[in-house]
Amino acid sequence: MLEARALRKAFGRTTALDGVSAEIGEGEIIAITGPSGSGKSTLLHCLAGIIRPEAGEVRLDGRRVDTLDEDDRTRLRRENFGIVFQFGQLVPELSAVENVALPLLFNRHGRRESLRTARSWLERLDTADCADHLPGELSGGQLQRVAVARALAVGPRVVFADEPTGALDSLAGEQVMDTLVGTARESRTTLVIVTHDNRVAAYADREIVLRDGTVAGASTVGTSTAGAPAAGAPAAGGEATT
Amino acid sequence: MYSLGEYIECIVAIMSTRHVLLGLLAERPKHGYELKKEHDHHLPGARPLAYGQVYATLQRLERDGFAEVAETAQGGGPERTVYAITDRGGAELARWLEEVEESAPYVVSPLFSRVVVAAVTGGAADGYLLRQRAAHLARMRELTAERRSGSPARALAADYALQHLDADLRWIETAMERLADLRGEIDA
Amino acid sequence: MITVIRMPVRGRSAPERARARLMSVGAALATFLLCAAVTLVSFRIDTPDDRLWMFTEREPRLVVALTLALLVVPAAVFTYQASRLATATRERRLAALRLAGATPYETRLIGAYEAGRQALLGGSLGGVAHLAVNVVLWWSLDGVVPLLSPVWTLAALAAVVLAEVWSGLAAGRHVVASPLGLVRRARLRGPRAVDLLLVALGVALLAAGLIGKGRFPVLGKYGAALSMTAGMVLLLFGLVLAATWLIRAVARRAGRVTAAPETLLAARIVQADPRAWARALTVVGLTVFFGSGIGAQQGNVLLRTGLQPPYLTAYLLIDLALLLALVTSAAALVVHQAEELLDHRRSFAALAASGVPATALGRVLTRQALIAASPVCVVAAVAGAGLVILTGADAPGWSPGAFAFTAVRAAVMAGIGVLAAVLVARASRRILREALRPEELRTG
Repeated sequence: MLEARALRKAFGRTTALDGVSAEIGEGEIIAITGPSGSGKSTLLHCLAGIIRPEAGEVRLDGRRVDTLDEDDRTRLRRENFGIVFQFGQLVPELSAVENVALPLLFNRHGRRESLRTARSWLERLDTADCADHLPGELSGGQLQRVAVARALAVGPRVVFADEPTGALDSLAGEQVMDTLVGTARESRTTLVIVTHDNRVAAYADREIVLRDGTVAGASTVGTSTAGAPAAGAPAAGGEATT
Repeated sequence: MYSLGEYIECIVAIMSTRHVLLGLLAERPKHGYELKKEHDHHLPGARPLAYGQVYATLQRLERDGFAEVAETAQGGGPERTVYAITDRGGAELARWLEEVEESAPYVVSPLFSRVVVAAVTGGAADGYLLRQRAAHLARMRELTAERRSGSPARALAADYALQHLDADLRWIETAMERLADLRGEIDA
Repeated sequence: MITVIRMPVRGRSAPERARARLMSVGAALATFLLCAAVTLVSFRIDTPDDRLWMFTEREPRLVVALTLALLVVPAAVFTYQASRLATATRERRLAALRLAGATPYETRLIGAYEAGRQALLGGSLGGVAHLAVNVVLWWSLDGVVPLLSPVWTLAALAAVVLAEVWSGLAAGRHVVASPLGLVRRARLRGPRAVDLLLVALGVALLAAGLIGKGRFPVLGKYGAALSMTAGMVLLLFGLVLAATWLIRAVARRAGRVTAAPETLLAARIVQADPRAWARALTVVGLTVFFGSGIGAQQGNVLLRTGLQPPYLTAYLLIDLALLLALVTSAAALVVHQAEELLDHRRSFAALAASGVPATALGRVLTRQALIAASPVCVVAAVAGAGLVILTGADAPGWSPGAFAFTAVRAAVMAGIGVLAAVLVARASRRILREALRPEELRTG
């Protein structure tokens, strides 16, 4: 469904991506891992149409994404994607429920309906009592669950998460991941997680390991000790089995 | 590789059954069958405690004065005998809980040996490390799924296993980077 | 210590250099205006000179001097806003100094040193510029315009530098709070009773000046003018600060009913910190207040006496001064918007990443300006016109036409004020585009 071919992107003299290909299927949960500076976030930004690669292509359902102009990519992101960042994505002056309702309002859903939907998402993610609090009054774990609710509320086809637990301790991180992955599976939403935490990567069906801007390896559910693809193999193919 | 059961066995071996049973008795007096059931419930994935072992351990506890027979139901038989913890037993349990576990010498693990040998022989090390990573991660996925579906006790056990596997993986990552550096030095 | 204080000045980033330059410009303007006002007051009175009747006859001259002195206020506010700009980036460097062991007092000294340095640079320029203009006028107008003693220039310069140093000390407060970089601004600071005290004090001074016209206990007739001036300024500051209440009420109302996400965002952001908006809008409010008040005066005079060229010239000059004040105040608003965008760059960049168009976020800026500026401008316009009508009640002949003229003029002034705020917000969209770059999304 989402496909990247031979992506290349440099920031100044630093090459962030150097010929990365990846293929992501409908409803799959993918982890993009690798050491810091390996190009994980850049790959996510390219896949999500936030930045344009210098070479290579990104396709959603076979349709080129990277060649679209800024307006069309913005519309595409709004209609198809939800995004969760490490921190700081909620507007500090809006209450949790208003933050969740924001993308719905931008999609012209009407005030009542948007707020109702937002509240029901907060309930679903076990954060109903946070609804009327400002982000400054919430814990890190609650903030991230509100952010997850905001990403999911619009019913996206793909949710991108960039180090969603990076600012959290183990238990809070686990709660956020349980919520994110559980809801994604229920609604058959594709989930792409960038992380350097193996325990977060273990939530995914499959991982794409980046090193120095190239794909170093990949692993899939069900691979036994000997069965993993060798280094340098493209990250394509692993079908979700759980 | 490490299975959940294997990990639990390690824990149990370290903890010793004596102290686990003492701990369970500290709650209230119990009979042998009850103790076996609770042991298996609290330490899921561990090899189920044989009934004979429960009985033998209880007798040793009684001999040492850590436990006593509180009540013997009519008809005798060990399964009807209710044991209670004594004051000395309580003191022993407290002493044991105070003790610090010896830091395990993990560096003697087979994984460590394999990586070192792979590095020394050169060439294949990188590929091996990636395959090892894939295998570890696959096991971690299973554990993550188990943790989600299981009881709190199972979650504790899964956490224990997950964090150890994670430590291995992080070491593997460092090893890969270090090997790359070494290779760079050799090439230069 | 001196070395430590000077160190941060060298390691400045581009926005900080821009901020420093803005502060210098503000200081230059303030010094120039202060000197000009002093020069004006020291004109030889009653020298018959047709061209300069405005400056040589007592009453019009007072009005002009007053206007010039009042123009110092926007210049000062502008400089203060500039000193606040880029504090976000500066804070990080100063916080690093705190971690390295600098005491809170020392970090504040650094802020004060930077501010004072720019004020001295800019103020000197302003003083020199004034001297140059002064010499040219003195020479070309046969001595009607006196040469201002350099002592006065130095005094004006000292006043400006001192004010800047003080504002630098004040602007360093966040950093003083915690060495750990991330300092949460004190939000939701509500209106204070002091605001009302300002209003009361202003009214009292104004009344004293009016009642004691000509026989004022201190400084004679100048004392009365001074008292009225001070009263008006205090009253206006008080009114604008009290408008915090109004701004918050309007914002809360807008946030509660709207279905437009842009309005919701704008309303909540304004509601969370109405004081910052009230402060930034002080000068706009001041301009609208005077514009509306002078409008009422003009309406009365013009409709009573007909169009007389000398009056027209005077009014034209005053309106020109008002326009200048408005432009300066607009600059202060730009600074406020920039500061606010710095605060929001992460959450806004996240919104943009998830598909909110930049144009929609631009609308958030303009709606904030609308929500905050409307109440301030309306209050200022009504207060300005009302004050003139009330105090001028003893003046003969308020015709219905004059009232109508006053009302229209007040409405126009309020409209211009709001328009200025909205235009500034539209201009700030360039800063917004910078803030929305994907680089802002980088973790860590």
